[in-house]
Amino acid sequence: MTSVAERARGFATGSRDKWIAPGVIVLGLLYPWYEDILQSLPLIGDFIPSTESMVVMVAFTMMALGLNIVVGYAGLLDLGYVAFYAVGAYTAGWFASQQFDQVTFSFLSSVPSDQPGIHITMWLVLLLAGFLTLFAGIVIGLPTLRLRGDYLAIVTLGFGEIVPQVVRNGDNFFGFDLTHGTFGIAPIDAAGFPVLASFTSLPKNFQTSPNRAMWFYLGAFALLLITVFCTVRLRDSRLGRAWIAIREDETAAAAMGVPLMRTKTWSYALGAFFGGVAGAYYASFRGGAFPADFFFQFSVFLLCMVILGGMGSVWGVIAGAMILGYLDREGLATIGSKIQDAGLDFDPTKYQFGIYGIIIVTMMLLRPAGLIPERRHRIEMEEGVHDTPFYDVEHEGTLTDRDPSDD
Amino acid sequence: MAEDNLVVATKVRKEFGGLVATDDVDFSIPRGAIVSLIGPNGAGKTTFFNQLTGVYQPTSGSILFDGTEVSYLPPHTITKLGIGRTFQNIRLFAQMSAMENVLVGMNCRLHSGILGAILRTPRVKREEAEARDKARELLVYCGLPRRHHERSVSLPYGDQRRLEVARALATEPKLLLLDEPTAGMNPQETAEFTAFVSKVRDEKDVTVLLIEHDMKVVMGVSERITVLEYGAKIAEGTPAEIRADERVIEAYLGRGAGQT
Amino acid sequence: MRSPNVVNGLGLGFVGVIVLWLAVNFFKDPTYFLNVGLDGLTRGTVYGVVALGYTLVYGILQLINFAHGDVFALSGLVASTLMLSVLSVTPASSNAAVAGAVVVTLLVTIPLFAVANASIERVAYRPLRNAPRVAPLITAVGMSFIVQNVSLALYGVDYESGSELIPQGVAFRIGDVRFTWKLVIALAIIVPALAVLTWFVESTRQGKAMRAVAQDTEASAMMGINVNRTISTTFVIAGSLAAVAGLVFFLEFQVRYDTGFELGLIAFTAAVLGGIGNLPGAVLGALLIGFIQSFNEGLLWYAPGGDWTRSIVFGILIAVLVFRPEGLLGERTPEGA
Repeated sequence: MTSVAERARGFATGSRDKWIAPGVIVLGLLYPWYEDILQSLPLIGDFIPSTESMVVMVAFTMMALGLNIVVGYAGLLDLGYVAFYAVGAYTAGWFASQQFDQVTFSFLSSVPSDQPGIHITMWLVLLLAGFLTLFAGIVIGLPTLRLRGDYLAIVTLGFGEIVPQVVRNGDNFFGFDLTHGTFGIAPIDAAGFPVLASFTSLPKNFQTSPNRAMWFYLGAFALLLITVFCTVRLRDSRLGRAWIAIREDETAAAAMGVPLMRTKTWSYALGAFFGGVAGAYYASFRGGAFPADFFFQFSVFLLCMVILGGMGSVWGVIAGAMILGYLDREGLATIGSKIQDAGLDFDPTKYQFGIYGIIIVTMMLLRPAGLIPERRHRIEMEEGVHDTPFYDVEHEGTLTDRDPSDD
Repeated sequence: MAEDNLVVATKVRKEFGGLVATDDVDFSIPRGAIVSLIGPNGAGKTTFFNQLTGVYQPTSGSILFDGTEVSYLPPHTITKLGIGRTFQNIRLFAQMSAMENVLVGMNCRLHSGILGAILRTPRVKREEAEARDKARELLVYCGLPRRHHERSVSLPYGDQRRLEVARALATEPKLLLLDEPTAGMNPQETAEFTAFVSKVRDEKDVTVLLIEHDMKVVMGVSERITVLEYGAKIAEGTPAEIRADERVIEAYLGRGAGQT
Repeated sequence: MRSPNVVNGLGLGFVGVIVLWLAVNFFKDPTYFLNVGLDGLTRGTVYGVVALGYTLVYGILQLINFAHGDVFALSGLVASTLMLSVLSVTPASSNAAVAGAVVVTLLVTIPLFAVANASIERVAYRPLRNAPRVAPLITAVGMSFIVQNVSLALYGVDYESGSELIPQGVAFRIGDVRFTWKLVIALAIIVPALAVLTWFVESTRQGKAMRAVAQDTEASAMMGINVNRTISTTFVIAGSLAAVAGLVFFLEFQVRYDTGFELGLIAFTAAVLGGIGNLPGAVLGALLIGFIQSFNEGLLWYAPGGDWTRSIVFGILIAVLVFRPEGLLGERTPEGA
């Protein structure tokens, strides 16, 4: 009788299964080239997403993977992830646009160097956005992560509301225009390879290149691969074990020397990092950072991806994110027009969040571990963990009376 | 010559609202000793344990561990300083394997961080491999030669208790706290465990503090016994002294039983 | 390690600043201050009813029922249908007719939403009793979205308001301080509702069962209390309260499919501020938040203004949870022994 662990490991190393990941990567990479073929197919052709949509879907997938670190690995319910998206996008707005036209600074930028404002190459800005958002995650985490699960959820929700409100009203911080208020910051420089362009066929600036969508898509795909790589490595590390231990039994974890606050903060900060990078890249693609893009429901949208796909499951989250991202970008609209062609006057895009709500509730009731479950979460969902039980029987899960900020 | 005491607890007091759970207890543990803490149910033994390990903060009093004041430190810091423990109601990480449980115990003794995890440098790979070897050794040492990769919750009860000890030992403690470790064991397992406690103290160079209800274990392995009742210390001494102590007999059997 | 004294000092300092700000505004124009305050009282009473719904459910299940605010909004919308379409009340109708319509509407919406709320618990939360704590919380968020979209499907994005149905303006004055009809009507509907609730919780068997289960579920079960039925009762009551609040909000302000989100957050903050699980605390917290909102939007000396209301409310929530999680009237619970 093999143990669950051995069977699970066997799944990944079975000779047939070894080809799944490389196969998916190749298929994904080549998408812009066979997109047209797929779209000309009968029946399903209308449902094939454009490369433009794919860029956004991939960006959302990155964010969902970031959220998965917090919710899936560490087991912390974060309802305010949109704040990280916003910080990333505005970082791009600060360092790759004309927002700060008080100075003129350019570094390997894809736009001409005489343009006012700070224009740093987008690839560096992505890194910058990641670290700034990571820092924001630590700052938000400090007061938040010492709280119990349900309070944590609602406080993250609060920050997810406060950050967009600050951004909306941020055109007058004691006279200084930080975020350009409700107009947002635009245009934001596109990514590009200004240096490499002089001796390769790589474009200097994705925006001006004839294959704009394709280049943005390839860039997004590369970032996604990096995110997946980091996520998997983190999961299988000493830190990953600490996260699982905290999820299962916080008190025992602390007794075994796991520093609770620090470990939770790391999950938050790392989740934030990827959200920031994705946010900045998306802003570069979109050409701007607009307050209207940042609203509470977006956090729930991301959460729905993680739930649908499978908490803690990388393949699952990718699947859930691509499905919901597709629905958001194109799918619901396409379905809507089909419905209207059939004669019914029903517009599913209006009820988008109701649909996500139904998905969430249905999944939690019927298949809480997700479409592609991660082994441990499936068992935890069925058998429960050693935290404060729902129908509060004993208080054992919250054994301590000490100030949790010291943890 | 003053004894070398690993733990010196002075006038430790714990109040929960109006309830006095620990009543100005003075308690020391000599380095390298096996010491037991006994008392009727509700005497406050686990409460005292919890103050030693940082789960509770004493209302007043001081706890020195190896010279360091630990009464206000958080649990994980105290573990890192060298106190490892098991739990009265087994608190293993149920969905993790035995191997993984022990690896979590080693968490504070390993050093790989975020960058190391992502890049998986040779040093990190080596540390992980060494950790796994050490974990395997510990598991075998504690009487778990097989089933290292099974979910810990699927192990038999006795093995789960042994696993808890292995996990505690993985934290490389100077002081090992065992909270009713033989609860639910049959007489043979209990006898084996009693021998095991001595072996651990001798071979792993740890000091042991035991909470126990099984008097055979207590009398059999302890070098000194401290008795609590209603949160206060009522007696302390060698097994022979405690066995004959009238207050102890009364505490366990009620007033009137002291007249033998 | 953060010294508790620094933390308390910061908290007290902040409260001191607020009190100072209020005092300055008061002395600049006491009458205006009081009028703004009464406006806050009007809102605060409605917030209180909704906050009670949150705190009752949290007290017994330790669950933030995210959907509660949306149930409240839907009940307000349904009340609007009943009053405007079914009972055909118009601004021209007599006060007696409006009052009668209010009673009839409540007789419909209270049972309707009591049952609806209990059904939500039965269908969405009860099956997850053994799941990790995260699970029912996530489900509650999903449920909130579902209810909100039901409102959207039925009522679109329009606001429904009954404020033209009730007498406008001032009911009576004390000096220059104006007691509006809105305040009087709110109190007239809500105070009896609270009285019924208090009677129920204090005097009836089911009410005592609710308090017992909130304190110690396992012991209650062992004493023969039907825990499931008690929990259902709690949701029934919370649904009823939501219906009452929904009607009042429709009459006094305006309701839309997404009203529940913001109001839900405000009400939950109120419950936390007063001490989660504590019934009088929820009302007290709600009144305070009502005041804070009115002062923020109405006062003239250095008031941040309506744009910042949401952030201020969240700020309060975060501050309470970080500095004083047991709220104003709650007890710091020590664990075990």
